[in-house]
Amino acid sequence: MTTPVAGAELTAELRRGLDTLVGDLPGRSGDLAFDEPWELRAFALVVAAYEAGGYPWGEFQQALIASIRQWEESPAATRAPWSYYEHWVRAFEAVLGERGTVDRDAVEVRTCDVLATPKNRNHHEPHYEPIAVDPARTTSIPEAP
Amino acid sequence: MSEADRTSEEIAARVKALESMLIEQGLLTTEMVDRYVDIYENEVGPQLGAKVVAKAWADPEFKARLLQDATAACAELGIGGGQGEHMVVLEDSDEVHHAVVCTLCSCYPWPVLGLPPNWYKEPQYRSRMVRAPRKVLAEDFGYEIPDTREIRVWDSSSEIRYWVLPQRPAGTDGWSEEQLATLVTRDSMIGVAPVGAVS
Repeated sequence: MTTPVAGAELTAELRRGLDTLVGDLPGRSGDLAFDEPWELRAFALVVAAYEAGGYPWGEFQQALIASIRQWEESPAATRAPWSYYEHWVRAFEAVLGERGTVDRDAVEVRTCDVLATPKNRNHHEPHYEPIAVDPARTTSIPEAP
Repeated sequence: MSEADRTSEEIAARVKALESMLIEQGLLTTEMVDRYVDIYENEVGPQLGAKVVAKAWADPEFKARLLQDATAACAELGIGGGQGEHMVVLEDSDEVHHAVVCTLCSCYPWPVLGLPPNWYKEPQYRSRMVRAPRKVLAEDFGYEIPDTREIRVWDSSSEIRYWVLPQRPAGTDGWSEEQLATLVTRDSMIGVAPVGAVS
């Protein structure tokens, strides 16, 4: 489905706005890059909640700085491997928890619920044949007399 | 769950949990989050599929292995993991064109293709493609498949994830794999667009 030009311009404008928004955050190397789908989902969730008026951006910035600092100050031997968007999630949870937007225990419970739900629970059958075929419409060319 | 050491799966679940809680509170809608996801949907994952397609075009023996067992052939190139397991590659020909849909869960080999676009996850895409693939490809995607080619639509599931090996375009004799890879788009590997034009 082709994006209309107006849509592309809007996207570019939104994107410039986002680049400005996240430009001052710590711990970024180069452009935004997402290695796994959840990273982009986390990014979009944090931005959407801010745009919806859920919290001031400065609170998220401070929480992100704190989460990264805590990681940096932990002994290298015991800390988790570096994951930039994990700090986004931790910072987001801290902001929502401190504001009382979500209850942190409830987040734990809900996370366990998600983990306990089998992935693709309605859709685990392999499908070995095409689900639809649109046959070629060959018209036989009449023999020349 | 240990606070110090969260696995990627745990963090992904946490993100889902937070999103669902904020939606229930009325702070957000899924569409509001999707809007930001859409901006970057082409930038998730290594999008290594183009490299695999280019190698298959250039190396007939690799292509044979890819069509035989895509998961193993991709592993040769160090590509795999995530939702890439149990992949099947469908080869386009002059007689047959392939396209891929998914039923419920938008099963998708993202380590190879990147993040699925939102339209791929919409039920309308699947139901219309199953009913009238030739029409949908022409009208929604501007991709005209000649009447002389059969179209096969494949249903990805969590057990088998399909993707398409498009035909190598004419006029690319002597191209390096790197040059060839620049022609391969995500949509061409879903089977809803041709590969890029040879300039």
